[in-house]
Amino acid sequence: MLEKKSLKTGNIKNQSTQIVLSAMALPFLILVLVFNYIPIWGWITAFQSYRLGHSFLDQEWVGLKWFIELSKDQRFFNALINTLGMSFMQLVVNFTFPIIFAILLNELRFLPFKKIVQTVSYLPHFVSWVVVAGMVYMMTSTDGGLLNNILVLLGFEPVQFMANPDYFWFIVTISDLWKEMGWNAIIFLAAITSIDPQIYEAAKVDGAGKFRQIVHVTLPGISHVIVVLLILSIGNIISIGFEKQFLLGNSIVLERSEVIDLYALGAGINQGRFSYGTAIGMFKSLVSLILLFSANNIFKKSTDQSVF
Amino acid sequence: MSISRTIISREEKIFNIVNILIMLLILTLTIYPFLNVLAISFNESSDTVKGGITIFPRKFTIENYKVIFTYNNLVSGFINSVLRTIVGTLTSLIACSMVAYTLGRKHYIFRKQVSLFLVITMYVSGGLIPFFLLVRDLHLMNSFLVYILPGMVGAFNIIIIRSFMENLPEELYESAYIDGANEFTVFLKIIIPLSTPVLATIALFVAVGQWNNWFDTYLFNGSDPSLTTLMFELMKVLQSTQRAGADAVRTASQQLKVSQVSPESVKMAITIVTIVPILLVYPFLQKYFVSGMTIGAVKG
Amino acid sequence: MKKIISLFLITILSIAFVNANGKQEVSSEGVTTVTIFSYDPIQTWNNMDDEIGKVITEKTGVKLQYEFAIGDAEQRTALIAASGIYPDLISPKSVSASMISQGALLDLTNLINEHAPNMKKMLGDQMKRLRYSADNKAIYFIPTYSVLNKVDFDTDAWFKLQLGALKESNYPAIKTLKDYEQVISDYVKKHPTTKDGLPTIGLSLLADDWRYVISVTNPSFWATGAHDDGEWFIDPETFKAKEHYFRPEAKEYFRWLNHMNDIGLLDIESFTQKYDQYLSKIASGRVVGLIDANWEIGDAINSLKAEGKYEQMYGRFPAVLEKGMKAKYNQSVGFDGGWGVAITKEAKDPVKLIKFFDYLASEEGQILINWGIEGKHWEMKDGKRVFTEEAKAARNSDMNKFAKEVGVGNYNNISLRYGDGVKDSTGNYFTTTNPENIKEGYTEEELAALDAYGVDYWGDLIPPATDFPIKKWGAAWNIPISEDSILKQHWDIEQNIVRRRITELIWGNPADFDKGYDAFLTELDKATSPMASEMTALIKNRIRLWNE
Repeated sequence: MLEKKSLKTGNIKNQSTQIVLSAMALPFLILVLVFNYIPIWGWITAFQSYRLGHSFLDQEWVGLKWFIELSKDQRFFNALINTLGMSFMQLVVNFTFPIIFAILLNELRFLPFKKIVQTVSYLPHFVSWVVVAGMVYMMTSTDGGLLNNILVLLGFEPVQFMANPDYFWFIVTISDLWKEMGWNAIIFLAAITSIDPQIYEAAKVDGAGKFRQIVHVTLPGISHVIVVLLILSIGNIISIGFEKQFLLGNSIVLERSEVIDLYALGAGINQGRFSYGTAIGMFKSLVSLILLFSANNIFKKSTDQSVF
Repeated sequence: MSISRTIISREEKIFNIVNILIMLLILTLTIYPFLNVLAISFNESSDTVKGGITIFPRKFTIENYKVIFTYNNLVSGFINSVLRTIVGTLTSLIACSMVAYTLGRKHYIFRKQVSLFLVITMYVSGGLIPFFLLVRDLHLMNSFLVYILPGMVGAFNIIIIRSFMENLPEELYESAYIDGANEFTVFLKIIIPLSTPVLATIALFVAVGQWNNWFDTYLFNGSDPSLTTLMFELMKVLQSTQRAGADAVRTASQQLKVSQVSPESVKMAITIVTIVPILLVYPFLQKYFVSGMTIGAVKG
Repeated sequence: MKKIISLFLITILSIAFVNANGKQEVSSEGVTTVTIFSYDPIQTWNNMDDEIGKVITEKTGVKLQYEFAIGDAEQRTALIAASGIYPDLISPKSVSASMISQGALLDLTNLINEHAPNMKKMLGDQMKRLRYSADNKAIYFIPTYSVLNKVDFDTDAWFKLQLGALKESNYPAIKTLKDYEQVISDYVKKHPTTKDGLPTIGLSLLADDWRYVISVTNPSFWATGAHDDGEWFIDPETFKAKEHYFRPEAKEYFRWLNHMNDIGLLDIESFTQKYDQYLSKIASGRVVGLIDANWEIGDAINSLKAEGKYEQMYGRFPAVLEKGMKAKYNQSVGFDGGWGVAITKEAKDPVKLIKFFDYLASEEGQILINWGIEGKHWEMKDGKRVFTEEAKAARNSDMNKFAKEVGVGNYNNISLRYGDGVKDSTGNYFTTTNPENIKEGYTEEELAALDAYGVDYWGDLIPPATDFPIKKWGAAWNIPISEDSILKQHWDIEQNIVRRRITELIWGNPADFDKGYDAFLTELDKATSPMASEMTALIKNRIRLWNE
């Protein structure tokens, strides 16, 4: 029946096109359904007092207990503020420096040099945070650390960088930039490479200098990637991970360093508080989705670019 | 005309010089961690404890590497890691690019729904235990497939590939349709070749993710030595040496040469062991996104 | 494209190949392959292909196939409980409550009574301490983390001073924290910088993550005549549990640290340095005093030794807050049962397994796992058990290789065993660590210092175990707690408060100390007092269980 109807209204080509397209995607969507959607039944445990190894039907129901507990936990709110603060700083930095770096790298004319810089710049991505945090501590040490040596050389007093809670978010952001800039730039570099060289030629003919070429050709040429990444990242602002904050932190900056993911880890499997951990996970998902939809709509209206 | 030329070239000259200087600075900053790790990995660990190693080893040794290679299962681990990286990357690329293509077609009616269906998975997760039980119930524990299937369709990768494909000029499709090609042929013959930069990028992301992933081995395949991966085995080495460090002190008073290396040094050597294969493979991918692709060439 | 497809096919084929090869079947001549999961790794594990392992398999017909937790061991172990897929044996450490509530672990009481004469002999009247709890008196674990009848020699004391500084002060008696402080301040005054021109550091603490409790807070037990019960202090009369910070003596200890900071003797990086920075300072020989356990500074000490900086190595003293307090390093917790290996419901032949454990607990088994094979690795010389020349050489050249090939130490994690200093029927020690070989490790500088103090071992400065009663409840930290107990959160909640507050207090102005400490206790009490009550109940239960 359906076929006949569309035969009348649409054209055959369009219908077969729809079928081919659906067939191309469907097998993979089933995988997503199985591996990403089925496990969401786990959310039920947020309303239970879940005990390991018993079926989820065989658990005590506690209603909203965990969510109420969460809303009363001062430490959780502190972790939330830290997460959002650091995430926001990271967002700003990750959408400026890697883009600028990719653009500048693309402008290098000497190909071997370009390749070397690019390869080297992403190397720190593979060095674990344990090691990088150790290096950050070495450099900021008042006991012969590089940074303080430079400060003293310039006639300043040495600074205990790691002992000041006010510096902590900056230290995390800068360390992250150091470690991930080159890696984050790869995607922008790929985007720049996809820009049609003819457009540059046209701009040159119009007398555009380097700077104008970047502003009028390169940036618009990669704006679709930037917007999509930005929307996805805004949705992820609450999931910052915990490794770098944990490893760069110490007992003095504890109040500024604890993030939700670390808090959730402590509250989850390791304390046997699975239900509470799940409640935190649900809260995070909810916040993420709200942010995602908002960002998506804002960009859809203002730039006509969006994820969905 | 000739005046404006010279202005541009002077501006360009300054730009190029400044640019090279900036790049040199970045080069120095970002190569340091790697060189530092490399230096420590080749330094005697009793000397490393004193600190102060920068980019050259003070007391050269290969002991730290030797320790790693006395462990069992490294060769089979390496083979499994290579296998999962190749298979995982290829399957994931096929899956992601096919889904991305359909989502990139503006007239596809489920476009928005499917995008949403995928994107949500980036932000919503049932947690470790339900996932673990799922894998158990699908009988994927102690199997190679657990390295491939769960992560094969990555929403992030799909969205990125899609946004590249969407950006390709619409005329490409038009001309293909006129030639009578169907969607799959367009995808295979026209869109894929034009998407090499993004495909290379995603391949890199997936491959590195596969290569470095020890967590799924740890969750599902840890008890079967024929399925463990290199990264997992190296984690084991690290854990063992850390443990041995504690044991060593207990027996230190007996003046036995318990272990000539510290966990710190082994950690550095392990880092190098894992980076080197990536460094070796990288240039093959790099050429796709460092030197420009010319759409014009294909179009014309 | 063709290339890619062929590559794809090749890999698919190779997967099939790998999977086909993967499944191994072992069952020859009555040898059973037994799967075991362990929370802790065994560094030199060699799949029982070591020499000791072969003997054990031959005698017991058991071959172990091990899986160790990698990464987050707690998580990995909890997932086993979640999935319900168990190996034959499991050593889950603290993650046992849910396994027991699922009925996954076997009650070993009858198995031991009927099939394990050697274990019974070794345990004697301590067997009742193996029972799980006052409500559930089954025996689930063969304890492998605590040893029987251990005799202490050369116990480590936390308060450490460089031998060079001691020598300059003519080896003064270090009884109190004042004495300890005096040596440091005299030395720093005299030598503001080291020979290399670097500033001398008076006292450095380590506060990196969990090490915080080792170097910053636990010493308040040792310095004030209390014994370490994790974060708890258990009143020996009333058995009331409370965080040890509530003891007035503990407050005075932290006041002393605040004072050390105030007079500039405390390293200003004490709370920011990472473990490797701390070790590098010690290894450079610049730190006069340390408050830490030996096992934490081993790498740095080895480096000092290798560099010949013997005067920068440390003497160890049981310094206390006030005269009259006795440092309780040596107080005995008795045999505390606790963590160990369990047989799960998956095991096909539990009797065979219990016999396997019983063999390891026999005198023959104990000597085998500690010393190796008679005639090959050890021999009797004039009635004394010694390593053969060959084994000695192998041990000295590379202990790891020796352990891996021979298997010495590989079976400690799965065996009930005697502690150091216990002698077998021939009058020889069961273990290879004994007073004689410890002394061989001392340097001349150490011997000179020991001589000046009139003792043979550093440990002799510490009041002996006989000065104190055996702790009735064993160790508070290994009392099993139920899976939904609020005590599971204790560490996380308490440490968050302690590390913040204690750091502030030590760093702060001495004038604000009292007020700050009171605020700290108020906050701690508010957050954890229900947990303290629960802990008290657990302690009382255990005492009841162990003494009925």
